[in-house]
Amino acid sequence: MKKYILEVKNISKSFGNVKALEDVNFYLQKGKIHGLLGENGAGKSSLMNILSGIYQPEKGSIFINDIKQKSLDPESASELGIGMVHQEFRLIESFSIKDNLTLSKANIYKDNFKEAYEKYCEIFSLSVSPEKLIAQLSVGEKQKIEIMKLIFKNSNIMLLDEPTAVLTPQETDQLRISLERLSEEDEKTIVLISHKLKEIRDFTEKVFVMKNGKMVAEDLSTVNVTDDNLVELMMGRIQKSIIDKSNKTGDTKLSVESIEYIDKVSNYKILEDINLEIKAGEILGIAGVSGNGQVELANIISGIESDYSGKIIINNKDVSQKGVKSRKKLNLSYIPENRLGVGLAPGVSVLDNSIVRDYFKTRLGPHLSRSKTETYLESLIKKFSIKAPNSKAEISTLSGGNMQKLLMGRELVSNPEVIIASQPTRGLDVNAVEAIHTLLVDQRDMGSAILLISEDLDELFKLSNRLHVMYEGKIVKSLDIDTADINNVGLAMAGVIE
Amino acid sequence: MNNLKLFKRQTVNELSTFYSFLIGFIIAIIIGSIILLIQDKNPIDTFSLMLRLSVGSIKSLSSSLNKAIPLILAGLGISIINSVKLWNIGAEGQIFLGAIAVNFIYINTQFNSPSFHILVLLLAGFVGGSVCILIPAITKVVFGVNEIITTLLTNYIVFGVTIYLINGPWKDPKSLNFPAAAYVGEEVFLPTIFGKLSFGFLICILFTFLAHYLKNKSVFGFEMRIAGGSAMTAVYAGINAKQKAFIAMLIGGGFAGLAGAIELLSQTHRVSTGISQGFGYTAIIVAAITGMRPFGIFLVGSLFGALSIGGSVIQTIGVSTYIADIIQASTLFGALIIQFFFNYQIKRVDDD
Amino acid sequence: MIDIQLIGLLNATLQAATLLFIAALGELITEKSGILNLGVEGMISVGAVTGFMTAINTENIFFAVLVGVLSSSVFASIHALVTVVLKQDQTVSGLILTILGLALSSLLGKNYVGRKLVTKLESVTSITEPSNIIEVLISQNIIFYVAIVLMIGTSFLLKRTMFGRRLEAVGEDSKSSDSMGLKVAKTQFIATCVGGAFAGLSGVYLTLSYVPYWTDNMTSGRGWIALALVIFGGWKPYRTALGAILFGFLEALVPRLQTYGFELSPYIVKITPYVITILVLVILTIYKGGKTGAPKNIGVPFFRENR
Repeated sequence: MKKYILEVKNISKSFGNVKALEDVNFYLQKGKIHGLLGENGAGKSSLMNILSGIYQPEKGSIFINDIKQKSLDPESASELGIGMVHQEFRLIESFSIKDNLTLSKANIYKDNFKEAYEKYCEIFSLSVSPEKLIAQLSVGEKQKIEIMKLIFKNSNIMLLDEPTAVLTPQETDQLRISLERLSEEDEKTIVLISHKLKEIRDFTEKVFVMKNGKMVAEDLSTVNVTDDNLVELMMGRIQKSIIDKSNKTGDTKLSVESIEYIDKVSNYKILEDINLEIKAGEILGIAGVSGNGQVELANIISGIESDYSGKIIINNKDVSQKGVKSRKKLNLSYIPENRLGVGLAPGVSVLDNSIVRDYFKTRLGPHLSRSKTETYLESLIKKFSIKAPNSKAEISTLSGGNMQKLLMGRELVSNPEVIIASQPTRGLDVNAVEAIHTLLVDQRDMGSAILLISEDLDELFKLSNRLHVMYEGKIVKSLDIDTADINNVGLAMAGVIE
Repeated sequence: MNNLKLFKRQTVNELSTFYSFLIGFIIAIIIGSIILLIQDKNPIDTFSLMLRLSVGSIKSLSSSLNKAIPLILAGLGISIINSVKLWNIGAEGQIFLGAIAVNFIYINTQFNSPSFHILVLLLAGFVGGSVCILIPAITKVVFGVNEIITTLLTNYIVFGVTIYLINGPWKDPKSLNFPAAAYVGEEVFLPTIFGKLSFGFLICILFTFLAHYLKNKSVFGFEMRIAGGSAMTAVYAGINAKQKAFIAMLIGGGFAGLAGAIELLSQTHRVSTGISQGFGYTAIIVAAITGMRPFGIFLVGSLFGALSIGGSVIQTIGVSTYIADIIQASTLFGALIIQFFFNYQIKRVDDD
Repeated sequence: MIDIQLIGLLNATLQAATLLFIAALGELITEKSGILNLGVEGMISVGAVTGFMTAINTENIFFAVLVGVLSSSVFASIHALVTVVLKQDQTVSGLILTILGLALSSLLGKNYVGRKLVTKLESVTSITEPSNIIEVLISQNIIFYVAIVLMIGTSFLLKRTMFGRRLEAVGEDSKSSDSMGLKVAKTQFIATCVGGAFAGLSGVYLTLSYVPYWTDNMTSGRGWIALALVIFGGWKPYRTALGAILFGFLEALVPRLQTYGFELSPYIVKITPYVITILVLVILTIYKGGKTGAPKNIGVPFFRENR
């Protein structure tokens, strides 16, 4: 009898200079639930994309049922029974459940749809008519249909990318039971990708842990590892306080009082009773897995989102009712998480993007002075060592690091008093990360109050003076960096609060 | 196993639009030649005749440039609206409503100074064009109704209104077999620069610079680009994207309306169905082919004006005037196809 | 006994509606796949002229219809090539298709202006002067019944068959469809050509029965009305048919207004369909909060990112 249904040996993959995967091994036992744990950018999605045939590895081999696969493309991977549920749903909203389940040519329940649907509805404890439109379903129900889609396509290896990120605790519980039944009754092999420790612990039998493109732990038995082990594997040993934090702090520059925010569409409470205060010369870190309300909080402080309750005070002025522009005038800068799309406008030139914050300074009435804007951009390029082909080039021709440097430069050049930096180093290479850290620290030393939102604990511990942990829209933990314990923070991020 | 896969290019050659146009034009000339050959006409003779009859003399050059005026102005209007990534398919209607507005003001007002009168009438044309796009602009900005369809439908509404006016309230009893409004007085005819070239051409040059300034040199142009590039970035930057879109549409419509005013005051001298011969549609080709660049629109508009004149005069030797339309349309198709190769790269992916 | 004028009006309404409806139905199929083709006017024109030319030259009406339908379909494949394969802007490409189609058909039909047809598309029964509604309904041109079959067929195809559901899936969400293993590009290419074929059928009906002769620009905006009809009908075949009858009615009413003793200018009546369409569009958008029934991916080229 073969041991593994799928086996990946020494896979490597790089994009440009960035090594996304390095000599990765990964193997799955038939009918078991496996966990794949790792931070953002650890290489989990690259590995999954290789398995589903989207990327081609440079090195290494893939065996399915002990047969070496020459090359996988999305079609052949699907035929071999590998199916994936992506974080953003791939469901056709205006179509019925039945259509979504049966449109694929690989559908195996052509003639006995009804029986099959009933069977899996029971497993997923779902009680909706197959004629119902996807758009009318709750997020949890959509998630179930998404997984059911794989079953109908006869996928025996199911890769689930953060399936619980959008679920309530009750739904998560239910999903666990359903997955267990699928693995037992149908012998489905399941991979659960997550960074929530509790789930990995609850759902899986075997755990793999990735960090920086490497598999740092293979095939651990879940029952034998502790949360502390996993956190250490996932985050590595963190060298605390490389930078000097004995700088002087001043008056309170930003204070946020009892913010509450409810999503209008889902009526779901995204933020609950958020309070924080930052002094001049201080970096306050917000730790948390993305999707726990950080984006909304940043948007509310910067003035983009106006429909909330609570108070925002910048420089002792209550700006709760004020818009984006007047907050900018009070010298607030916002570096949004979504670099291209929010911070920078795609399809528009480097020059235009460089002046988004300060364009009114380069104007003479209705005239936008070309020489002034060019000088402005040149000064940014020089000061922040940005590599850009030319000022007229479209922004997305820049590398991620240079885009971020341009964005940061643009927001920092006027020496703002309050800075909100959201995931400023995500997806960047080591050198760019270092450059951006230096920028933030310099800015701190010049007396800015900085709110640093990040998922990267290395970064947070390195830069912050104080730390808040956000989980499900609340600040669940607040600590001073000197006394903070990395493991505790990691556990709190994963929803484990002692 | 070898696979051909498509990749978006990281950098696109800055002159790619120009090369695409050039190659597209060559393709179009080849297509035109084939059609001529099928019809037993010598392409070289025909094209050189077209060239001679469209730019060979002051007289023909001036009619070519006269033809170019509405193409350029309407094309500029389309390009301004496209700065916020919206389409104006309604330039044809805006040209007509521009002319109607001119006639309306002409009938209802009296001025002593002819030059001031002309100025007022040109302004009326501009406003007429803006009014024409008002409904599509409001419905787009307020309700999000697709502007392609609404601007297009207004063409038919305005054309219907035109027919109504020239057969009803404005009908000139002296014009028996061709329904039209009465002629405007000679005092408001646009003067000519040389040959038959209307003063409108100078306005056209002025407005080309104006459009260039608005799009590329002004704060408003910058705000339009950001709003068109990403609605989220506009919100982030505190730019009111809807307001920019609304204003851009009114200005763009005004440009086409001005074209209608110039046509009336320099060519037809009265409101009739002949105010525009599909200028509003050809202008879309002109604008699209140049990648919405004002100076490009000026040059290609002039070329297409000449092509139209060349096309209409070669009828005399038994060649269909539609050869010009076919060349214009094929140029854009050719350019679109070539543009693909500038934007994408086909790579062989070697698996294994 | 029904007024003979009313009979005439009804008759004319159905004829005008048939013409508009077939083209609209073709565009509906194309748009369902996520491709916007603004070239309907041009495609009708191409079908009209090629069908007419074939009829004159071969005197074989069946062959003429076939040629008209096929040539429009081939003509539409230019749009498919440019937008589906080469991923260029659908608005631009469609508009140019209209301009090119009008010019091309005028060029082709130059020597056919004013020529008389020997064979025409005939009505299925020999009633030439129907006197009641039943007779009107059974004395229509064969294309009328083809249109009804196409309407029922298309509706069935879209709602009840896998092929139709897949077509719609591609137009709704090409990314999800791709992940389901559906062939996005192939589906869109076929749908565009089918749309062309329908427009071609509408064109041959125009020159081989409705008018029946050939002159330049004889489509006179019907292609654009067809486009509006698709929106008016909320991308549903039956509702589109209803819209076509309304528009056909208005078209038929205009030349008859005076006989009814109406003072209303016929020119104003002629623009009402366009005004109504805009109104309906606005109301649909407000009422349904933007959900006009339009395929979500319409106008967006599909490109599977390979990093």
